[in-house]
Amino acid sequence: MKSFSEMVEIQGRSLWSRNAVKGVSLRGERLKREGRKEWRQWNPRASKLGAALLKASQIGLLPEQGSNCLYLGSGHGTTISHLHDHVCGANNHLDGTIVAVDISSRCMRDLIRLSKSRPGIIPVLADCRKPQQIAPFVSHRVPWLFQDVSQTGQVEMFIEACKQYLAEGGTGLLSLKSASERDTQGAFDHAEATLLEAGYTLIEKIDLTGWEEQHVLFHVVN
Amino acid sequence: MKLVWDWRFARVYDESDNVVDECVWGGNRTPGALANRLALLMQGRMTIEAQTLAERFPDATPTPSMNIKSWPEAETAESILLQEASIKLAERGVSESASNPDSRLEHLVQATEEMRNAHNTLESRIVEWAGMFLPNLDIDQHRNQIAAAISTSSNLHEIGDSLSTIPAEVQIGSKEWSALHSLATSTMKLATDVERMEDSVREITETHLPSLSLLLGPLLAAKLCATARGRERLARLPASTIQVLGAEKSFFMHIRQGTPSPKHGHIFQHSWICRSPKWTRGAIARMLAAKAAIAVRADHFGGEPWTSKQVAEVEKKVGEIRARKNKR
Repeated sequence: MKSFSEMVEIQGRSLWSRNAVKGVSLRGERLKREGRKEWRQWNPRASKLGAALLKASQIGLLPEQGSNCLYLGSGHGTTISHLHDHVCGANNHLDGTIVAVDISSRCMRDLIRLSKSRPGIIPVLADCRKPQQIAPFVSHRVPWLFQDVSQTGQVEMFIEACKQYLAEGGTGLLSLKSASERDTQGAFDHAEATLLEAGYTLIEKIDLTGWEEQHVLFHVVN
Repeated sequence: MKLVWDWRFARVYDESDNVVDECVWGGNRTPGALANRLALLMQGRMTIEAQTLAERFPDATPTPSMNIKSWPEAETAESILLQEASIKLAERGVSESASNPDSRLEHLVQATEEMRNAHNTLESRIVEWAGMFLPNLDIDQHRNQIAAAISTSSNLHEIGDSLSTIPAEVQIGSKEWSALHSLATSTMKLATDVERMEDSVREITETHLPSLSLLLGPLLAAKLCATARGRERLARLPASTIQVLGAEKSFFMHIRQGTPSPKHGHIFQHSWICRSPKWTRGAIARMLAAKAAIAVRADHFGGEPWTSKQVAEVEKKVGEIRARKNKR
């Protein structure tokens, strides 16, 4: 058993988070009771952050509990829900916020439903490439930024976002899909070089093979 | 001097980050009011407080609040309000996408295509199946009538009568007959459903893309719009791209492997192209795509809508191209 926080741990071979909304399973994840606690299984196939937690050798992937997080490309909110378990907890008693940005209105409606049951999530329907659309929701630099947008030019977008929003010493996570880039072969090398050139410290390059093909999660510190 | 603002208040800082002036949002702090404010900020506009301070300190440079270390943290009540407002704003954005004809058109065009494919598959199945029972019938001649004949009959002999042929001497069980009959009925229904879909596409396209549908016909106009993923993007595409929209496969084959370039994509469906001799099609497609680009720009950017006069001019040019190419 490996514990990331009192809210997230690996039990056996699977990853679990303390369910902040007891009794509710979002996409049919397994729930299990343990005294007064309820654990919800974090499926690494549906969440790249989950897969990274299982494969990472360095610590510091998850944000501090109760901190402010910026999540670009939130999709349907699977990862967001587990992140919320960790950062906010039940009824946001940890007093964290997660600004969840996505451009698709189809994804946004799922995210809105999620935010209604989980205080602390701020859903934003906006284009991650347009910083002015996100700035109104982020008054301060954040200590934790995650980007997963599966678009061409992701690395450049990530660096731009980090420059604007990531606090000094903050953690930046970039989930990169090589198939999204023009040069599929050199995508990961190019990303690594660009990140180092921009002055970020690369903590770990986590290959998600096994859970998510052709994906690498870059863990950097500002 | 720096002018800094977020949704809560605006401040002016001097060079050593001391607060010189402050203006706080004094309005009624409801989620709805904040949602309006956030929408304004998302467009890159200033709040009223920021405007007031900008008038007082015209030489202060606008600075993002992220870059001010001492910018006050949100209080719990403010965080809760922000969440409620952001949900409201996101909900507005989601319902706006329903009023966008582009996304509706995309579903309609795709659905029409899928239903047409389904109809073709079912029809060819029933033609082959029923054809076995009608050995003397010229199947290809009566393709369109077979499903209709079955759906209005109650046994093999009636089908034979309505197609004036003699059915084979086979006994088929009542279950098999009813399966055949209901397949025929579904096929017929699908055909009318496809027509209904197309009527709906016509209705939307004729108001959304009036000039383009006048030039190319509403169904082709809708298809181009859906392939370009929206009227705005279609209006910004160069004519050469419009010409090969829908021929992506051969276009990228051309780029990667140097095969001959495609001369026409969806636009081929237009009778001016598909009914023209092969050697004139490329030139006509090029000209027609250029005209289509102009028409869609008139539609999107609020230009004068096209009339049959402009379409007649284009048709004249088609004639000229055909004549010119035929001489050689």
